[in-house]
Amino acid sequence: MLEPSLDLYGETFEKVDALFEDLLTKSHGLYVLIVDLKGFVIAHNKALWAPKPPSLDSLATLIASNYSANIAIAQLFGEKGFKEMVQQGDGIGMYVEELTDKTLLVTVFDSSAALGRIKLFTKKTIVEVKAVLAASTDTRPTMNFDDKWQSSTQSLIDGLFGASK
Amino acid sequence: MSTINFSAHEINFKIVYYGPGMSGKTTNLKKIYENIPQESKGEMVSLATEDERTLFFDFLPLDLGEVNGFKTRFHLYTVPGQVFYNSSRKLILRGVDGVIFVGDSAPNRLRANAESLRNLRENLNEYNLDLDDLPFVVQINKRDLPDALPLDMIKQVLDPTGKIPFIGAVAAKNEGVLEPLREVSRLVLEKLAQTA
Repeated sequence: MLEPSLDLYGETFEKVDALFEDLLTKSHGLYVLIVDLKGFVIAHNKALWAPKPPSLDSLATLIASNYSANIAIAQLFGEKGFKEMVQQGDGIGMYVEELTDKTLLVTVFDSSAALGRIKLFTKKTIVEVKAVLAASTDTRPTMNFDDKWQSSTQSLIDGLFGASK
Repeated sequence: MSTINFSAHEINFKIVYYGPGMSGKTTNLKKIYENIPQESKGEMVSLATEDERTLFFDFLPLDLGEVNGFKTRFHLYTVPGQVFYNSSRKLILRGVDGVIFVGDSAPNRLRANAESLRNLRENLNEYNLDLDDLPFVVQINKRDLPDALPLDMIKQVLDPTGKIPFIGAVAAKNEGVLEPLREVSRLVLEKLAQTA
């Protein structure tokens, strides 16, 4: 089965991307990402002034795993989970909050941004993104996994991992 | 369940290397990293203890290429094999699309192989997944051990029904490393084509 973690495409995607730009401008954050709990990046944006981000695959995997580990810790204390996650180093910080039951919204910021401001605008963006998703009328695109697709992917597998003996 | 990202034009799969402690799961990932061309792989991340035992997981993203305008990507994970890290193993199995079980050929690890396989089934059940429905391949590693058990004997213990593909390997020498990955990738894509 093939399923998106979030129905984010077409006009809905454009609207969410615009909300991300707004979040970065108002909060002075560096990067904003939607990450699913399987560790995949669903969407991301970067402030104009931000340096090139680290590997987003690695970042998403570590954030999702860290979030899941924190839920497990919370459950040891009889809690359902921790509602938000904040990490702050000397130069870089990260604020993570649940967007949907399968996804997280992550804002990465540097020392020029105040944590309170980051939290305020991230929470506001979450409400706005949820409203955009709820109002979406975009039809989910379909994909055709026909024989040609199967044969093309098999060729790619053989190319990368070597052909079967 | 495979994940599609329509905005990024990506189809993503999660493949997990499972197995008892010290069977060679991290070695497999390191060898895959060495074998795959730079443009098809991302950074390898290892969360390990000081003595290089896997603490949480290892991670390696691979980019298979593009078909019909969609990139096909595999995220490879290992789990910590040591018995007491079960919570971590369970977390890593969330959303898994395919499993490669790395077994050990040593006679004194036969029981550990069987217990780890049982643990895999139990942990998958917690996500309402059945190993029999998942793309699944077994790699029996360390075939170069002087006292390595015959492959058939290990097969009889781990898969008496004979349904699962078994592949012998010496991962440290780069033998039998890509074959299980190729086989599980093929099974994962085949399953997607059947169920999408």
